[in-house]
Amino acid sequence: MQYRHVQAIDGKGGLRGIAVDSHGQLCAAGDSEIKVFDAAGRLARRWPTSRPAHAIAVASDGAVYAGEAGQIEIFDGAGKLLDAWRDEKPLGRVTAIGFTKDSVLAGDATDRAIRRFDRNGRFLNNIGKDNPVNGLLIPNGVVDFGVDAQGVVYAANPGKHRVERYTPGGELLGHMGRFDMLDPAGFTGCCNPTNVAIRDGIYTTEKAGPRVKAYDFSGKLMAVIATNLFDANCKNMSIAVDARGRVYVVDTVKAAILVFEPVKA
Amino acid sequence: MSEDLTRRDLFGTVARGTVLAVLGGGAGFLVKKANGQIVWQVNASRCINSRLGDAGAEACSLCTTECVVALSAVRAVNEYSKCGRCNICPAYFNITSAVNELGQPSEKLCPRDAIVRKAIGKVDPEDPANNFYEYIIDEEKCDGCGKCVMKCKEPLGLGSITLRVRYDRCVNCNYCSILKACPQNALMQLPIEQALEPAQVNRAG
Amino acid sequence: MPHPRMRVRGGELGKLKHAPPWVIVALLVLLPGAVRSAPAQALPYQRPVDTAPQADSIGGGYKTPPVQKPLPRDYWLQIVDVVALAAAMGISVWLVLRRRSRRWLTALSIGCLAYFGFYREGCICPIGSLQNVVVALTDPKYSIPMVVTATFVLPLAAALFFGRAFCGGVCALGAIQELVALKPVQVPRRLDWALGLLKYVYLGLAVLFAVKPALVRDFLICRFDPFVGFFRRTGAPHMLMLGGGFLVAGMFVGRPYCRYLCPYGVLLAWCTRLARRGVTITPDKELDCGLCAGACPYGAIEKMRAVRRNCMYCARCYASCPRDGELAHAKAGLAQVSGAAS
Repeated sequence: MQYRHVQAIDGKGGLRGIAVDSHGQLCAAGDSEIKVFDAAGRLARRWPTSRPAHAIAVASDGAVYAGEAGQIEIFDGAGKLLDAWRDEKPLGRVTAIGFTKDSVLAGDATDRAIRRFDRNGRFLNNIGKDNPVNGLLIPNGVVDFGVDAQGVVYAANPGKHRVERYTPGGELLGHMGRFDMLDPAGFTGCCNPTNVAIRDGIYTTEKAGPRVKAYDFSGKLMAVIATNLFDANCKNMSIAVDARGRVYVVDTVKAAILVFEPVKA
Repeated sequence: MSEDLTRRDLFGTVARGTVLAVLGGGAGFLVKKANGQIVWQVNASRCINSRLGDAGAEACSLCTTECVVALSAVRAVNEYSKCGRCNICPAYFNITSAVNELGQPSEKLCPRDAIVRKAIGKVDPEDPANNFYEYIIDEEKCDGCGKCVMKCKEPLGLGSITLRVRYDRCVNCNYCSILKACPQNALMQLPIEQALEPAQVNRAG
Repeated sequence: MPHPRMRVRGGELGKLKHAPPWVIVALLVLLPGAVRSAPAQALPYQRPVDTAPQADSIGGGYKTPPVQKPLPRDYWLQIVDVVALAAAMGISVWLVLRRRSRRWLTALSIGCLAYFGFYREGCICPIGSLQNVVVALTDPKYSIPMVVTATFVLPLAAALFFGRAFCGGVCALGAIQELVALKPVQVPRRLDWALGLLKYVYLGLAVLFAVKPALVRDFLICRFDPFVGFFRRTGAPHMLMLGGGFLVAGMFVGRPYCRYLCPYGVLLAWCTRLARRGVTITPDKELDCGLCAGACPYGAIEKMRAVRRNCMYCARCYASCPRDGELAHAKAGLAQVSGAAS
């Protein structure tokens, strides 16, 4: 499959995490604010967060969840603060947020694990901690994951060069990917993939020779979306995929969101 | 005759006394100015092996070749608290070499085999990917060639390894011959306390 | 262990009671639907390297090891070097002026060559220290260690009273040249004087380059030291060849570096002029044999009198004198024996 680069959206400040909502709008978290871009890439709305935001996700009801150090803030689509889950222990530094049908998942980079809460904020269980190294191996300091339609959690484990599949209860189902410098299907360097997004496949970003790839759910490489378009010093490039298959990737150095569109064969 | 001698003696004594006073005064003035030991140290934000940019470039080995000390006074030093403890360390392994059955590159990077690695924490003997590793640089073998530093640099690594001047080896020349050759002017003079602090490297985004 | 509830308690408005004040302000600003707002930067982002796994995360009893911080040579050892320098000069004075023993002086100079030359690798030396002193006098930001000042002053003070004791028994560069001075010829006086002018040129250049600003400063004496490559047992090929060249020349011309190039020698010569004591040739009406003048490789004896400026304190004159020194003592001993026998 081929992709072409269609747009670069100026992030208007720092950029960390991005997410797409059901209307095709792009939400970005960076510095201490949330920015919402419309489908054409224009800045529609922005509002501040109380702490620098590392992650963002949009629930099916339109609520915007912002992951920060020690808390998750929940806003409505207009930017009104609805709730704040504040607890240093399970939410040391939230670098990714995802949803299953009945729970909210938050990736805590301080403890190297994914936390599962119910919709009210009650802690349920950890994902990814039940292993000899007591967590995911994230020397880059970022936990990232995605959730597919069946509720399977795909967590990037960069120290092991793979994406791991977990049940929401925390049981490891399997993994895909391996270390390989030559094969484009492999993950390069010391710790890749840094970020992952799930839609109709597994989309990964890597640092140090920054690139974006798409795999199908069986682990077969479908496309290398981009290799040379990012600043060489990018790390932890957040990725999001919308319903049309457009891929959004953050260039953390230039603070821009690069948009890629699948080319109809 | 004796009067001549006396005058010459007197002149000699006065002259000696004067010169001695000048020497003593100058020495006293200089001693008052002396404040602590100044030593050479590598500026990690300027050294091209450790500063951001030029990813994948050839490592600069001027610290090895230019130092007047036999096996250089510069060593690669790993700041342990900043190290990722990764299984596949790009400074330890030559990550472009073929992957062996353990899933690791088959060759090591250091030409003098100066980096040693040791599994730490709860060690899993079966699967090497399940462990954290400490990377220790043997300073008897390291010659400061900078290859590991270039690979550890962000974004590929975390930038915990930098080139540092080691004061049990450096003879503290008046003008460091490495600085003379360094295209980035990456050697600087610092008081010994500052020179011993961890390296300040610029960070990636 | 995870906490059961961590949401802020209360209903919608009740939350405002527990919310920090700025949230209330922000809401008041936003409720009318304002688009723009100033971003709060309460906490800086944690840069990735600060989240490298720490000991508590790695677990298993692991403790982050300390990074080695090797310290330079102990200060008291540097003091020992200065004391050794002073002591060696004292011994040199005694050996030359009192004992008048060339043999013991050679032993002293070999010992100093071994310690100050090969062990300390020729650094810090009084010759180079003159650059540091010049810089310290002209650059207010330059700090000169006390041991360097002492290294500069002590040989000059010794020369002020006793002559060039430093050159004779202590200087490692001089000692290495003395060792190779196998067949030194007498250099013609005019040539000797002309070549001696090079010292002043070298001194002038060394001072000139030392007083330049820090970025363009150059320490010429250190850079062009011909023998430091031997002391360090490593060096640039051209410097090792230069040193070798000086040693080869030194076989036929006594101590060429010392006599014609050493910038510190200029200062020592000035101080020696004022010295009361020093190497002297006692006038003797009966025996003016001139053996001393023939023995001196440095042209320091003119018309049977010592010329202190050029005297390198080598005690060859005493060694060759039939009336003085070891030769005389030996002969006196022989006379005693033969006298006793007959």
